[in-house]
Amino acid sequence: MVEIIYETIIIGAGIAGATAAIYASRKRMRFELISPDAGGQMMASGDILNYPGIVKTTGVEFSDAIEKQLQFNGVKLKKESVRAVKKKGKNFIVTTDKGEYETKTLIIATGARSRKLNVPGEEKFARKGVAYCSICDGPLFSGKRVAVVGGGNAALEAADFMKEIASKIYVIVIGEKFIGHAYLMEKIKSNPKVETIFEAETLEITGDKLVKGLKYRRKGNIKDILVDGVIIEIGRVPNTDLFKDVVKTEPDGHIAIDCQMNTSVPGIFAAGDCASGHEYQYVIAAGQGCMALLKAARYIANQKQ
Amino acid sequence: MAKIKVYTLPTCPWCMKLKAWLVEKKIDFENIDVSSDSSAVEEMTSKSGELGVPQTEINGKMIVGFVPEEIEAELAKMSKTKKTKK
Repeated sequence: MVEIIYETIIIGAGIAGATAAIYASRKRMRFELISPDAGGQMMASGDILNYPGIVKTTGVEFSDAIEKQLQFNGVKLKKESVRAVKKKGKNFIVTTDKGEYETKTLIIATGARSRKLNVPGEEKFARKGVAYCSICDGPLFSGKRVAVVGGGNAALEAADFMKEIASKIYVIVIGEKFIGHAYLMEKIKSNPKVETIFEAETLEITGDKLVKGLKYRRKGNIKDILVDGVIIEIGRVPNTDLFKDVVKTEPDGHIAIDCQMNTSVPGIFAAGDCASGHEYQYVIAAGQGCMALLKAARYIANQKQ
Repeated sequence: MAKIKVYTLPTCPWCMKLKAWLVEKKIDFENIDVSSDSSAVEEMTSKSGELGVPQTEINGKMIVGFVPEEIEAELAKMSKTKKTKK
């Protein structure tokens, strides 16, 4: 049963959602911050060196600092999973695994997740040699052979990180060349442990109890390499599946927003990596979270007039 | 409080969260850094079948990931068993 009508509900507790919540609290709005966990993608970040005002931090330190800031501002995270969002007159109903909430505005800040390869063996060997975060799991492959799948900056960074840890690193790139920073390419090119295989399509991850190999196709030939770990770094997909029938999304799944964080539905705003124009930067997500909240507050004020 | 064993990596964010949470809750634990001991990786994997961290071992049960509710539930079970034995 819906008893309270909130001014805003913020879905997602990464930096975009957390920033919106801090602003909502400071504006003394009636709101909830809903997410099954806190920290978002900060929990998979290593060093953070580009957030203005902070010389150097790590994903965990940053996440802790934001958690403390939420507490300082009296924000209590509702650890619930959103199941559905629907319109009710001018308002919205947010249904979670634990309850139902009515709100005048909605801020979607659900972030993004690692893109899957969708090949046989990937799911079977998840946490059994298949990893999506070299910083988190890479050292488990100390002295072992690994494959890094991907051709962008994240894959290059993973290969660079692993060169101090693994005995051999195969970089499996589907394209003819890397799409990433030149300095990262230089770093791995000059390392004898790293072998890059271009124009290689990963077909299967093989093993028994744990990963034992990777099968790929290159120029019509199918080859197997023996590896103990496969680190998949092929980009990210936005966490927007729940909202595709609610707001307009772009072909790649990001929620279409304008420069004021408005979605296609008045009263619903989106911010951070789930939204269009994404650059996967903390400072952008924080700024968008702030903007979304301020515009939501303005939207409510305009409704009252 | 029962001693528990945690398998972690120094670079893993959830491992740091887990250890900080255990310290905050004053739960005594033994930390095993699997990055410096390949036999510890094998030990961990043979117990849980999972190659991922953090993992927490309580009373023979392996809890994969940072799941405070599960750890608390397992500790509660242990303390209940101890009280019953008395």
